[in-house]
Amino acid sequence: MEIELNNDDLEFRHEVRDFLKENAAKPGADYSQWRMDYFENAAAKGGWDVPKWPVEFGGPGWSPTQHYIWEQETVTASLPWDMPFGIGMLAPILMNYGSKEQIDRFLPDIRERKVNWCQGYSEPGAGSDLASLKTKAVLSDDGTHYTVTGTKVWTTMAHMADWMFCLTRTDDTGIKQEGITFLLIPMKQDGIEVKPIITLGGAHSVNMVHITDVKVPIENRIGEEGKGWTYAKGLLQHERTGLAGISRSIVALESLKRQAQSVSRGNGTLMDDPAFKSKVAELEIDLLAVEFTELRSLAAAASGDDPGPESSILKLKGTEIQQRIQKLTVEAGGIYSAAWGVPVGHKFARSGMQGYLGGRANTIYGGASEVQKDVIAKNVLGLKRS
Amino acid sequence: MNFDFSDEQQLLQQSLERFVSENYDLATRKKLADSPQGYSDDNWSTMADLGWLALPFDETDGGFGGNQIDTMIVMEQFGRGLVVEPYFANIVLGGGMLKRSSNQALRTNLLPGIITGDVQLTLAHAEEQARFDLDDVVTTAREDGEHHVLNGKKSMAPNAATATHVIVSARTGGGQQDKTGIALFLIDADDLDGNHFPTVDGGRASEISLDNVRVPSDRMIGDYELLAMTAQDAVLALSAEALGCMEVLYKSTVDYTQERVQFDQPLSDFQVVQHRMVDMFMEYEQCKSLLYRATLEAVQGAPTAARTSHALKHLVGKSASFIGENAVQLHGGMGMTEELAIGHYFKRLLVIESQFGNTDYHLAQFAA
Repeated sequence: MEIELNNDDLEFRHEVRDFLKENAAKPGADYSQWRMDYFENAAAKGGWDVPKWPVEFGGPGWSPTQHYIWEQETVTASLPWDMPFGIGMLAPILMNYGSKEQIDRFLPDIRERKVNWCQGYSEPGAGSDLASLKTKAVLSDDGTHYTVTGTKVWTTMAHMADWMFCLTRTDDTGIKQEGITFLLIPMKQDGIEVKPIITLGGAHSVNMVHITDVKVPIENRIGEEGKGWTYAKGLLQHERTGLAGISRSIVALESLKRQAQSVSRGNGTLMDDPAFKSKVAELEIDLLAVEFTELRSLAAAASGDDPGPESSILKLKGTEIQQRIQKLTVEAGGIYSAAWGVPVGHKFARSGMQGYLGGRANTIYGGASEVQKDVIAKNVLGLKRS
Repeated sequence: MNFDFSDEQQLLQQSLERFVSENYDLATRKKLADSPQGYSDDNWSTMADLGWLALPFDETDGGFGGNQIDTMIVMEQFGRGLVVEPYFANIVLGGGMLKRSSNQALRTNLLPGIITGDVQLTLAHAEEQARFDLDDVVTTAREDGEHHVLNGKKSMAPNAATATHVIVSARTGGGQQDKTGIALFLIDADDLDGNHFPTVDGGRASEISLDNVRVPSDRMIGDYELLAMTAQDAVLALSAEALGCMEVLYKSTVDYTQERVQFDQPLSDFQVVQHRMVDMFMEYEQCKSLLYRATLEAVQGAPTAARTSHALKHLVGKSASFIGENAVQLHGGMGMTEELAIGHYFKRLLVIESQFGNTDYHLAQFAA
């Protein structure tokens, strides 16, 4: 057992730091120009614009340790905004199951951030139980296209998206995981209606998408008809481990401590309050442990093993920790956390409340915590449901 | 031993239930909360007409001689309906202070207007450096002949934008954290600078700056004791309101999980969901018991009343957080939307948690 970074890793970290410093936004620079420049320069480094892509598709081919270093270094840098839907979600599916034509057609635009994608999975009746989805896709008699009708919900950024990758039902006679087909659908067309859903924090990021008699050419089907669940499932598992956000939480806890030190209480600060201090300490202890849980999981991946049982707890623990930090931030804000939309009192109070409210979704999306525990009970502990 | 309400109290409760069910569907409530004023003048008049604004005041002052039990009944129903009219600011805070004030002239002068709803009061006691301590006051009141001159900043005063008068705590002497040397002044709202804004639960609050505000010295209504007594009543009232919110949340969750089918069965068939809801129900019942205990002790003037009120606000804060977060969680994505009532109750509970001392603060007070 050893956890020291070797010389190559240290050199890599140095290189990452230099790159991030050189490519940080200059004061007063045009944002979208900077964003484009950033990704171009990252690409020139040899796939740093798509760190997780495999080498054969232009990725950098980093070791798990290098990925870890990248995550640690980028969490405090302000990178240009990026959506995970094309780069992180659709791209791996295209690489694994798409045809040569589909890869050539879609992958370059995804990489260059030219096209925005959204994920059409959840439906009003299919949340945690995603496989019960009902959006219907009917193949035309001549086999040239599908006609799609149905409703998708919680579709993040659908209002900004050019395309949706969508799970549809082509067969409802067998078991529900079979008969699901993976289609790519342009968003800007008649028959697609996007309705905003305003969430607790007052934000509009998710939507309801009504799809009515939309014709989708057969070339837009990924893989075989009826195999969509298999394609999507591997990725869902991947999405879940990616949601733990451990490095981000470590940074968030540090900034919570600074915030609490700026709040006066009696003759000291909130960080002198024994109750508050112990809650921060408890979080710190959990983070010390979960950071190593993540490293164990990375090490297993590095040696080519399947992710071990430790990786299954990352999303659960990670999101629980995120929510506890968010809650403590609201507590630290005290009376000022109640002010809405205006900066009043403690500077961090406004975003603290928004973060807490929005963060309630962390234990719901990507598989609700209750469902995650069912999965662990079944797959890791080998238990049967009564 | 008897935990039943009197006949009058039952009638009061029924009339409140009727008001809420007739006037407070979610769409109407949202419209009110989003309006510039934040509540309805018509509803406020109705509350005056029904005598609710007169409830806690002595009969000699034109009131109904009610006590904390009556206020509890009102606030619990207001919690169930997420009522936005400024009952708490006016009747519990402002009215509560006047009612106990030794300033007979001001009481005679103002109470009739409060009872008709034409005079509106609020309390501005909080200061940034104080966090939740009532006795940490840096706002100063300097005596100048027949007047006091006030300087300082007050935070998060509820409904101050529509108040005609604001009660402010200020220091006439003593050190920053001394209980002695604190005085309460009733100030015409026109004499104050306020920054008014909405709160996350659809309410209204204000930051108030006092810049050489001259207040006639006969507008002094009391000292720290009065502030502490009022804060204790505030804790009881807010806890009652929270209880109403928690009841709606746990019951809606029980209903929703029976309707929502995933994995070919209602969510409520999953044991983990059942046990969670049993926990929510137990928390609610425990809060109700402690609310009754604290309220009765306050009515009796028991020596333990203050300590029990600290216990109450602590338990309510903890339970509200548990019930609110789990109501959202078990409603899944739907619980995250503005469209469902769940989130609005959750947000009201969050604000209650921060008013008049949070969960940790009251635990420390209880243990002290």
